Amino acid sequence: MLRQLQSLITRGRVLTSPAQLAGYSADGLGYKRFMPDAVVIPADADELVAFMRGAKSVGVPVILRGAGTSLSGGPVAAQGGVVVHTSSLKRIREINVEGFWCEVECGVALNDLDAALKPHGVFYPPDPSSGPVCTLGGNIASNAGGAHCFRYGVTSNYVLGVEAVMLDGSVHRFGGPAGGHGPWREDWKRFMIGSEGTLAAFTRFWLRLLPLPEKVWTFRATYPDLRSIEAAIHALVAHPAYPAAIEMIDPRGVAMVEGSQMACGLPKGSFMLLTEIDGPAALVDARVQSIAKLLRDAGSDDVVFSDDEPTRMKLWKARKAAGGLMGQLSADFVVQDAVIPKRALAEVLQLVYDEADAAGIPAVNIFHAGDGNLHPNFLFNSRKPGDLEKVEHISKALMKRVIEVGGTLSGEHGIGNDKAAYMPLVFGPDSMRLQLAVPAAFNPAHQLNPLKVLEARRFVA
Amino acid sequence: MSVEATDHYSNCTHCGFCLAVCPTYILTGDENNSPRGRLRLWSEEAAGKIPRDEWTDFYTSECVGCLACETACPAHVPYGELFEHTRHDHVATHRSHPSPAIRLAAHAVTHQSLFNLAMLPARMMRNLGLTPHPFLLPGKPALLKSTAGYARELMRAKKPTGPRVALLTGCLMEAMFRDINFATVRVLIENNCQVITPENQTCCGTFQEHTGLEGVEALREQNRRAFGPLDVDAIVSNSSGCGYSLAKTLAPNKPVRDVLTFLGDLDLKKREPRSTTARLYVDLPCHLVHGQKAPGIPANVLDATGIPWALAPNAKDCCGSGGVYNLDKPENARAILSAKSAFLNEAEGDPVILGTANHVCMMQWHSAGATGLVTRPYEVKHVIQLLDPGEGFALTPV
Repeated sequence: MLRQLQSLITRGRVLTSPAQLAGYSADGLGYKRFMPDAVVIPADADELVAFMRGAKSVGVPVILRGAGTSLSGGPVAAQGGVVVHTSSLKRIREINVEGFWCEVECGVALNDLDAALKPHGVFYPPDPSSGPVCTLGGNIASNAGGAHCFRYGVTSNYVLGVEAVMLDGSVHRFGGPAGGHGPWREDWKRFMIGSEGTLAAFTRFWLRLLPLPEKVWTFRATYPDLRSIEAAIHALVAHPAYPAAIEMIDPRGVAMVEGSQMACGLPKGSFMLLTEIDGPAALVDARVQSIAKLLRDAGSDDVVFSDDEPTRMKLWKARKAAGGLMGQLSADFVVQDAVIPKRALAEVLQLVYDEADAAGIPAVNIFHAGDGNLHPNFLFNSRKPGDLEKVEHISKALMKRVIEVGGTLSGEHGIGNDKAAYMPLVFGPDSMRLQLAVPAAFNPAHQLNPLKVLEARRFVA
Repeated sequence: MSVEATDHYSNCTHCGFCLAVCPTYILTGDENNSPRGRLRLWSEEAAGKIPRDEWTDFYTSECVGCLACETACPAHVPYGELFEHTRHDHVATHRSHPSPAIRLAAHAVTHQSLFNLAMLPARMMRNLGLTPHPFLLPGKPALLKSTAGYARELMRAKKPTGPRVALLTGCLMEAMFRDINFATVRVLIENNCQVITPENQTCCGTFQEHTGLEGVEALREQNRRAFGPLDVDAIVSNSSGCGYSLAKTLAPNKPVRDVLTFLGDLDLKKREPRSTTARLYVDLPCHLVHGQKAPGIPANVLDATGIPWALAPNAKDCCGSGGVYNLDKPENARAILSAKSAFLNEAEGDPVILGTANHVCMMQWHSAGATGLVTRPYEVKHVIQLLDPGEGFALTPV
């Protein structure tokens, strides 16, 4: 296999030593390790195409990977094979301000794109927390969201076109700078977004941009109980200001932040809510006091807000820091990504607390409350026998209730291999059969990213 | 690997935030060549999951040690400590082989008098304006007078009455770049600080930390004896790397501050604008912002230079110097510097001055011009030199 790979990748790199593969054994779900047989780093898109053309003859699974920040066990070699690291494809090819679009290679980091767009007065709205490092390729493969997708929507709302490489090496453009279907009758780019590497490799994208909001106000409020913060969330969702983001941290998350170097003076035992409004200055300025009143009326006597950029960043501090702080408590954690109707928020959170407390597993909730997109983090020790099984038990109980209240499995992290086992809980046999037929149409042997999304997707050489 | 060290690996949640700031990941696109990748290699080897492998040695050797990953890490993994530990372990177990020249230099810096003598020709060459090596900066260091002797003279002449400050004079700084030490003494005394230079101080140990060679603890112990008992308002260093190392040595009992950070708290004497067209571009050494965790060089200090200034692009990113990294991995160091220094070719100003706070970074920046990465004239200065009242200060009345 080494010789075959070296014949396909002549300008990039081929890694095969155990110590070269270990770094690629996991994504952001660090405890779940799958050693690949090899890693290739194509020098550019041409070499990626050449690799894809020869991949069938190599005869092992092919896993596309960006920065490896996903939290669902997506870009990992669950069935062995070759990990294709797209780190060399990191060029922003065009920013078309008049047309409000840009063209980027798949390995461009999200925040690098933001920085390049800002001087032009435009922005690309999806904003997953891994923005400093995650790539557009990974964002599109998992249909990423972020804090501001409550108002702006997720990645799929902003993809105008995808250049995709099939396993036979053929290159196709679905959509393009003008959006739409491109040279295809059906809107095939929709298949590509969120396909988690199961259909094709991506080389570049055309993305829709928006003008930067003229003014942004950020509000932070703390609440003594779940009932009052829930009231605030429901009121915000219905407010004509249409907040861009509605984020929440529960008291366990607040305690974690306050116990760290990132402490920002949040009251002990409080639920923290963060919201933001943006738009034309005159319009958002006129709405500031009514948002503050809404937050107070729901039961907060601790409402702070600002339109000053450094102060706003301080208000965001606890929310931005919280995810990574998890490592100070436990490097091993499972984060769920269920989406529920907002009316069920208190009920489902209580289930998380009850189940986690009964199992003795710490659970921390930091999530996109406006969307009903829960992110309970279950902290455990992968070296302690039985801990992981407890987390899996809690996760299954949670998922069962999520389905009962009309929710679904994943909001933005994707399914990967971590949540593939839950798919039958959400989707019936007919739905599963049809969903399996889609990747099978693109690569019948499931050579691309096998054992992801659907457990039945096993590669047979 | 100690139990404590392996426990620290488990702080890493594998989030990947370190990738975006790691110079060798940006350069190579290879995840093993990143903090997350190296931590995974070290922990898997410590746990017996992967065998000892020359690639682990290679990826370890590739790290510049800039510590930008520590700033980026939300889980506060003590990467620098783990890296230093691993590097020493690799040298001790013959997995890494510092060159004879590096070994000789590491030995030499522990004998300051001999080192000063050995570097006399280099000081003479700088004095004569002969700087054949790309790292050799122009300057006028005293040939024989030490910083300690100069400080005593100036203290007697000026009799400052303000804060008592102990100055780390450093090894290479004293042997090669003591003109910067002299400028530091003048700036401190001009600003009414009483400067003390403990006689029995020695190299901070950074050289050993960077190379993984033995002997660092003996140096640290000597500096604990030299600085520990002092009754001073501050212990300062004019080299961010040395300051960071001494801070680790004296922690938690005696805080060590970068001299520019310390000066930022004072009502500084300002220099007259040297020309209307001069521009200062400020680069922030890694061990100042990521090691010492300073927010930067204080704005009032930079204002006091009298030169219009701006931060260099990506000022908090590494220049590729990394202690002896530019000797050990010259190709990587040059590639990192190439991207970092490109702006100088188009930068506005006449003269253009690149200001920083670490002599090793100064050498690296100087090499950008000497090796053709930057093709227009520019000066490299320690910011303290831009605050310097000049050698004539000694003669001015009190």
